[in-house]
Amino acid sequence: MTDRDAAQPREEPLVSCLVICGPTAGAKAVTATVRSVLGQSLRSVEAVLVTGDQAGGEGEQAAAAQGREAAAALAAEHPDRVRLVHSDTDGVAALRNAGLDAARGGHLLFLDAGELLQAHACRNLLAAARSSDADLVAGRWTRLTGSGRKESAPDWQDELHARTRTLTDIGAAPELVTRDSLASGYCVRRTFLDAHGLRHQADAERADLVFGAVAALTAERLTLVPNLIVTRRAVPDHGRDFAGLVDAGARIGRELADRGLDSLSAERERALADDVLLPLAAAFLRLPRAERQRLARQAAEHLDGAARAERWAQLPPVERICVRLLAAGDADGVHAAAYALARPGTVVSTLVERDDRIHWSAEGIDDPQARTTTDVTELGHQYRTLSTVQVMNRLTRCDPDGGGLALAGTVLLPLDVLPPTQDAVTWLEFKLRGRPRTFRMPVDETVRRRDGFDWSVRVDPARLPVRGMRERTWDARIVVEANGEKLLADVLAEPELTGPRAVFPARPRLGRLVADTWQPYTTARHHLALELRAERSPARTSRRILHYATHFRPARTIRRLVKALRSRRDRLNSGAVKTRVYNKLLLRLPTRRDSAVFESHMGKCYGDSPRAIHEELRRQGLKLRCTWAYAKSPAGFPADAKLVRRWSWRYLWALARAEFWIDNQGFPHGLDKPAGTTYLQTWHGTAYKRMGFDESRVRMQNVPHRDRLQRAVDRFDRFLVRSEHDIRTLGNAYRLPESRLLPLGYPRNDRLVAARVREQSEGRFPRPALAAELGIPDHKTIVLYAPTFRGVPKNGRKAQLPLDVRKFTETFGDRYTLLVRAHYMERAELPVCAPGTLIDVSDHHDVSELLCLADALITDYSSIMFDYALLDRPVVLFAPDLDAYAADRGSYFDLREQAPGPVIETEGELLRVLADLKRIDTEHAERRRAFAAHFGAYDNGDAARAVVDALFVRRTCK
Amino acid sequence: MTAGTAPETSRRETSRAGRDIFLVANTTDELGGVTAWMHQMARLFQRYGHRVHAVGVHRADLKLSLPEDLGYPVTNLYPEHPPTPRPVRGLRRLDVRRRRREADRIAEKKRVVDRLSELFATARPGGILIVTQVWPMEWLREADTAGLTVIGMSHESYEYSKACHRYRWIKHNYPSVDRWLTLTQEDADRWIADGMHNVGFMPNALSRLPDEPSPRDSRTVASIGRLHDQKGIDLLLDTWAEVAPERPDWTLRIYGAGVEEEALKAQCTRLGLDGSVRWMGRTDDVPGALAEASVFVQSSRGEGFPLALMEAMASGVPCAAFDCAPGVREIVQDEVDGLLAPAGDSGALARQLLRLTGSAQLRDTMGERARENVQRFSEEEILRRWEDLFDFLES
Repeated sequence: MTDRDAAQPREEPLVSCLVICGPTAGAKAVTATVRSVLGQSLRSVEAVLVTGDQAGGEGEQAAAAQGREAAAALAAEHPDRVRLVHSDTDGVAALRNAGLDAARGGHLLFLDAGELLQAHACRNLLAAARSSDADLVAGRWTRLTGSGRKESAPDWQDELHARTRTLTDIGAAPELVTRDSLASGYCVRRTFLDAHGLRHQADAERADLVFGAVAALTAERLTLVPNLIVTRRAVPDHGRDFAGLVDAGARIGRELADRGLDSLSAERERALADDVLLPLAAAFLRLPRAERQRLARQAAEHLDGAARAERWAQLPPVERICVRLLAAGDADGVHAAAYALARPGTVVSTLVERDDRIHWSAEGIDDPQARTTTDVTELGHQYRTLSTVQVMNRLTRCDPDGGGLALAGTVLLPLDVLPPTQDAVTWLEFKLRGRPRTFRMPVDETVRRRDGFDWSVRVDPARLPVRGMRERTWDARIVVEANGEKLLADVLAEPELTGPRAVFPARPRLGRLVADTWQPYTTARHHLALELRAERSPARTSRRILHYATHFRPARTIRRLVKALRSRRDRLNSGAVKTRVYNKLLLRLPTRRDSAVFESHMGKCYGDSPRAIHEELRRQGLKLRCTWAYAKSPAGFPADAKLVRRWSWRYLWALARAEFWIDNQGFPHGLDKPAGTTYLQTWHGTAYKRMGFDESRVRMQNVPHRDRLQRAVDRFDRFLVRSEHDIRTLGNAYRLPESRLLPLGYPRNDRLVAARVREQSEGRFPRPALAAELGIPDHKTIVLYAPTFRGVPKNGRKAQLPLDVRKFTETFGDRYTLLVRAHYMERAELPVCAPGTLIDVSDHHDVSELLCLADALITDYSSIMFDYALLDRPVVLFAPDLDAYAADRGSYFDLREQAPGPVIETEGELLRVLADLKRIDTEHAERRRAFAAHFGAYDNGDAARAVVDALFVRRTCK
Repeated sequence: MTAGTAPETSRRETSRAGRDIFLVANTTDELGGVTAWMHQMARLFQRYGHRVHAVGVHRADLKLSLPEDLGYPVTNLYPEHPPTPRPVRGLRRLDVRRRRREADRIAEKKRVVDRLSELFATARPGGILIVTQVWPMEWLREADTAGLTVIGMSHESYEYSKACHRYRWIKHNYPSVDRWLTLTQEDADRWIADGMHNVGFMPNALSRLPDEPSPRDSRTVASIGRLHDQKGIDLLLDTWAEVAPERPDWTLRIYGAGVEEEALKAQCTRLGLDGSVRWMGRTDDVPGALAEASVFVQSSRGEGFPLALMEAMASGVPCAAFDCAPGVREIVQDEVDGLLAPAGDSGALARQLLRLTGSAQLRDTMGERARENVQRFSEEEILRRWEDLFDFLES
């Protein structure tokens, strides 16, 4: 008793951290974890170190022994805060239960050796537990990624832990039991565990996962906090833990089913595919063949595929098939499917067509049940051509061959992309990594099959025209040219085919002193590449000398200097410096008479009203020095104008000297307008949603922000409007005095008015030349889909269109051609559809050309509807989120009341309505005309000339 | 059993009362919510038996009216706003005057930091340092705070900090304190998601509960706040322009003074509202002003944990407000004890005002409920939470 008093603090700690030292826990891992516990900002914390005598491999035993020594040393160093517990039985459950029994804290927290506890973790968990009176408090955790250096959290964690919340019903946060969220990063109340007698299930291999889920299900109150609790969890090894993970999933599923939570149980099953099976399949690309087969056998043994097939049916097609192949133990099939997962859109199997549907393979094609699983019609592979298809090109041979390298491979082609009768030339091409240099050699032999071809080639070092310096890595690929089309196929190389065995001598042009060996290897993306190496002593010596010359001290100093100079140059070219120089210096330059700078949509395109004005100037033959600004590439911009990149020095120079600024959105806000310049703001559309100072967001901004906008707007000398509505809305929103408003209509719409006039007299055909350019035959009705801008998607992802384009083309493909125009600020991801049914026109410069072409328009809140109404053709407003959008952004009028066509909120109804365009045309004709008259009162087809007359009147009088 | 618990309680008692508490703010006498809050808490702590010391960085120009003898010591580190750091770099190194000024500033700062360290050294064990605003951390970071539990605070919403320089200051200065407090759980969560780990929250306390609620019989809408852009009085006038034609017998009383006064009065005239808007100037008798009002309106662009809103509710005056910050949502439960409108949407705020001015029954039910609900922020309750926090940070 006295002994105990001396060794332990008198008070019980608030939190006990159980550090579980498993069979692989080394000294370093144990020490790091315990130090993170001792470094907690909450002082009343004890560390309970649980060790067992694990039977493992020899190396493992040595590591575990060192771990135990480290644990003992820590306990000796901090006798009052670190305690050692030894378990005689092995296994996760035994260790953790032993720790549970020994811990004395009011709250318990589990850590595996190697994991780190965030310094404020205990304080945050305990604070939440006290304020919410919860039995269990859970926070975030992160784990190491494959490289072992970075850390990441599972993607579902963000939403789960977005804010602090206390639940009494698990349904509010199902991820706690459907995903392995409670694998770590939580604490439980001691009294709660004792009251329910909760312990780990001794026979479960991953008892930790089961325990977390059962605790979550048992707890009456549960609190989730956004705090990060645990970092550096081990990299998951799905191959090693497979049986345990599947078993834990099954146990948790049973627990859920027992409690009547069947939907959660089903979700747990689906999560198994996402969390275990698909990562395991993805690992197949990196593993040798024998290991793949072992894993596939193991998977087949533990997974009852037939029982689970129904629950996996909702997975996307490739994922679904990958999981099914894994359950069937088909190692090669999984390998191929994993390749298709890694490179979306790749054809990796012999596709089969049956009853107009496309199937993954011929296997099970006669079984109607299996046929629904293998149906991959929606991937659109059947519509791909030689130049748009991505194929699997598997390396079958990679051997040194008499001073060269013998390569052979097999390419899988889908569904008659290249019929055996078609002539084709096949090359092996090498591309220098990071630079545009390539060279190619014809392959020696190709053997054509119905579903692809085999190729073989001997790479002769003499035929590799490389210099040898700064040309280290060459990526290999097969090129097939047939019928004017070209197929590029990277070579999928399994790691055991390449490697040191396959080296062959190199003969670079600079001699064998720079490099002497080619090493074929498998890249991080699993493709074949050749690396130029120095292996023998002369080359290695010269490499070393070169390395010395480029890395010794003066070279390092020079490099630092160059870097500093470069960063200084970048600073001088930064937007802030440019703005200052422009406003302080360039503005003093004299204005150059008869010069104008044009810009449309911040340089994104050559179009809209600035283009119409430019063309009118050209037509009238006015001698004006025109400059156009482009954002990224000058392609598509007029050749007779001077082209400058937006934000370049030449751009600023042009702006500072121009007599006219003409633009439809706004030259950079920070740039002041020169004294002698006239700024014509043509604007880019009539307003439905609230704009400028009418926007809630702007109204709530602080003074400096609003002043900046006011200064930018004050630059406008002339602002084009096309109706009274514009004056009431835009004029007010930007606080423009009446004198600056130019009620002449939009020059870009002259084309539309002309088109309507022509249609009334001559009919719609022949269509503009653009129809032929896009390859649209006359018998097809052209429907343009142009949704509005919803904000730039994050992380460089592409925007999701509100309309299911594939469904549209499947329904109307034979009658309509759908043109999709995403907003100029975003790009949409479009599925592969039957040829001639879907065309992406987002990159087209001038939207009014497209409007003239379209026989009907589908849009939501885009200002395009105000322009299109001038054509008097049917408009459908597909606005599934109308009320939310109007409430969020605010609107100037009720769209349902004034819309030029039917306002539709569901996709089913849209498809039904679109089936009869004629009816929309006639039924809504009145409304449409009233709409056009109301919102486009000043658009009378003569705007460009009127604007030029008003603005450049001095010159026209001359 | 009893023998075991008795010393336990007595130990707790001794640590609970009689702490040395330092409250540090930008100023101790500035007209504004944070200063008012600091003196309110100082009085509370003092009354509870702690020894309070208020410290301000400098004296303010626009003064808060405070009693002569506060009952606790007040220290101002600088007589006026200290000079801003201006590092001497590049060619400016040749400018002797500039170097001189910077050297003086650093020397003065050193003296101030030493003075702070001396002050903190007088604290007995269990001392607490509460940094009510982040700016004083410039000095406190260098001062010796050993033995003190340091608690930082931010009296504004995450969004509002994020939009200005204080975001960087908080990210730079607060990771090193023992704990720092936002006003609401929602703000704390935002900061945690932003990568800060030592964040908690603590609401402001309601200073007083008037004995009698407002009779709510005058046809008056009241707004109380500085006439500063942040309070959004311009948005309120836009709102009132939509309400006034519908409610010709109602008056809007705007209490407060400030730099925007002229511009706002001009806007009022331009909107033709001179007949229904009364400019009441600054008032020190807030409960008196509220007693004469039936509806309270707040149209701020940014808020922390608005005291004015709580005072209106304590007076039983129903509120309509822009939902501009988590603090507002925390105080007012929409449709239960007040009405909220999306931030910046003056049309929606006007609709809420029309609802409140249109129904005496609605005003009465919401007003009574508001008076009851707002008492969860009573001084006793908030003080208890502070005491719990002090104990928690010692464990």
